[in-house]
Amino acid sequence: MAFQEKQVEADGFSIRYWEAGQGRPVVMLDRTGYRGTLLHDALAEQYRVICLELPGTGDSPANAVSKSVGDLAATIAKAADAITTERYTLIGTSFGAHVALWQAIQSPDQVEALILVSSTAIHPQEVPVGASAKDIHKLMFAHPENAEKQAPLPAEIFAKESELVGRLTSGDHDAEVEARLGDIHCPTLAVFGQEDRLVSHEAPRVYREKIPNCNIALVYDAGHCIVGDRPEALRNTVLDYAEHWETFIVGHQTGVINP
Amino acid sequence: MKASYFGQMGYSDRSTFPPTWPTPPGYTDSKTSVQSYQDGMEECEFAEEMSFDWISFSEHHYSGRIPTGTPSVMAAAVAERCKRVTIALLGHLLPLNNPVRIAEEVALLDNITNGRVVAGFLRGTPNEDQVYSVNPAEGRGRLLEGMDLILKALTEPQPFSWEGRYYQFRTVAVWPRPVQRPLPPVIVGTRSDDTIRYAAEHRLGLGVSFLPVEQTEVITDKYRAWCEEAGWTPGPDNIVYRGSIYVAETDELAREWFEGLQKTRPGPNIPLRRTVSEAIQSARAGTDFDLRGLVAGSPEGDVVGNSLGINFLGGPDTVAKQIKEFHDRCGVGVIDLPFQQNMVDHRGVLKELEVFGKNVIPQIREF
Repeated sequence: MAFQEKQVEADGFSIRYWEAGQGRPVVMLDRTGYRGTLLHDALAEQYRVICLELPGTGDSPANAVSKSVGDLAATIAKAADAITTERYTLIGTSFGAHVALWQAIQSPDQVEALILVSSTAIHPQEVPVGASAKDIHKLMFAHPENAEKQAPLPAEIFAKESELVGRLTSGDHDAEVEARLGDIHCPTLAVFGQEDRLVSHEAPRVYREKIPNCNIALVYDAGHCIVGDRPEALRNTVLDYAEHWETFIVGHQTGVINP
Repeated sequence: MKASYFGQMGYSDRSTFPPTWPTPPGYTDSKTSVQSYQDGMEECEFAEEMSFDWISFSEHHYSGRIPTGTPSVMAAAVAERCKRVTIALLGHLLPLNNPVRIAEEVALLDNITNGRVVAGFLRGTPNEDQVYSVNPAEGRGRLLEGMDLILKALTEPQPFSWEGRYYQFRTVAVWPRPVQRPLPPVIVGTRSDDTIRYAAEHRLGLGVSFLPVEQTEVITDKYRAWCEEAGWTPGPDNIVYRGSIYVAETDELAREWFEGLQKTRPGPNIPLRRTVSEAIQSARAGTDFDLRGLVAGSPEGDVVGNSLGINFLGGPDTVAKQIKEFHDRCGVGVIDLPFQQNMVDHRGVLKELEVFGKNVIPQIREF
């Protein structure tokens, strides 16, 4: 599926985004922008997929403007609003999930369903002081061979993103967003890798306990970068939830061996 | 007529659960849980002492209300304490399970109880479909094929392979064989015509749960007619009815309890989010399901389920009369009774068992 690169203006930022597919809109927030994963392609076969590059990440200029994660989420909400007037499914990954949480809280009329992948908002693990892009890259995968299949972020992008995330979160647990999880009333899925070394294993249950309509999905044998360790598992889980929301717990697959 | 005590083994602090299914396991306290099972087994022993004929167990999941997800394990524990009663598995949720495994459990239990086992198979309530990710649209097919496979596995003396629609086993040879030959009594729990007919045509018993007598009668009339068509007449042990009960020493005391229960506004028995419930029902019925349309018209957080009702309520004579109606109109020969209601603790259950054993069982023996 070919994604087209476009731009949208919001809060003085010129924000790049990539778009493909038709149907109900799905907005994706990945810390490093569109990377052409199995998940993106599969979603684009059924939905109008809009992948927004968070200002201050990827190839975008450094972001010294946003004052908080909520502030950044407000910018993204404006950008999404400029692209589509329909309600959308919002999918955030890692820090993008942190932004997505704030967006769902601040813009409930826009977000129809929320999918958080490896969200770092609640109980992130402390990253070793002075860790390089390569060190963090290794930590993100359950298996070293999977880490080797993908290049670490270039040092300058890593430095820029680390500065932004560090300034907005200090790498800490977001107690304010936790206190407001009860305000999220749309169907919500929180997906985590069982071997995630960047988020505490305590985190998933917080979402389940505090968001009124929340399911947790734990992906076996996957680290923080689930799409790198178990891409098919992530694709199938997210696709199933995007279509069925909370009724994804009802079995939809056939067990017929021979008709 | 026979009396069966339904060993629910409910978690004693179940009144504190939130109105959702599944109940988060975090509500379990180990000390309370261990004591709850001890209380439940003591109730089974006392039921046997009070002349109950059967003790039954059911497969239910993800809640402390009937926390016996593996009923065979519970049945085995109680069978070692209760040496006389029939041990009834009422029953296994067949679409969720490996039928060969169920056949092995039934056969093993029949051996360790020296032929005191009754097996029961059913599809289960809609929430149960989700436990092992079974497609609700395929539940009926799995139940029917699973029963066929189990009956074959329990009776076939030679290893065989099974090429089913839902199950494929290249070698089936269940050890041990059941003590009861050709096989232990089997009860099919159902309200559906195709499964009622299956029970009748295979000379199996019928189990009906919680319906009022007039609806139960419609089902048992069909069953009995189809049994006649199949060339046999079901006996009293072939028709089992499970109904909730509260029995007190007098009608007035029972009414007082029920009024108190109503004031507590108990939640639904099997509370499901409305969207989930409708998705399952639509899949079971093979009809379309409009999730987004339903969400638009549904209060958020809405849960649905059966409201709490009591099938048998009153003093001993009143309850005996209510049971007699099921016997006379429906041909029920075994009445299976869950005594662990809301607002009835362990001591309360023991008290009811005593009242029932001393004052009701002698009456229903005459039916």
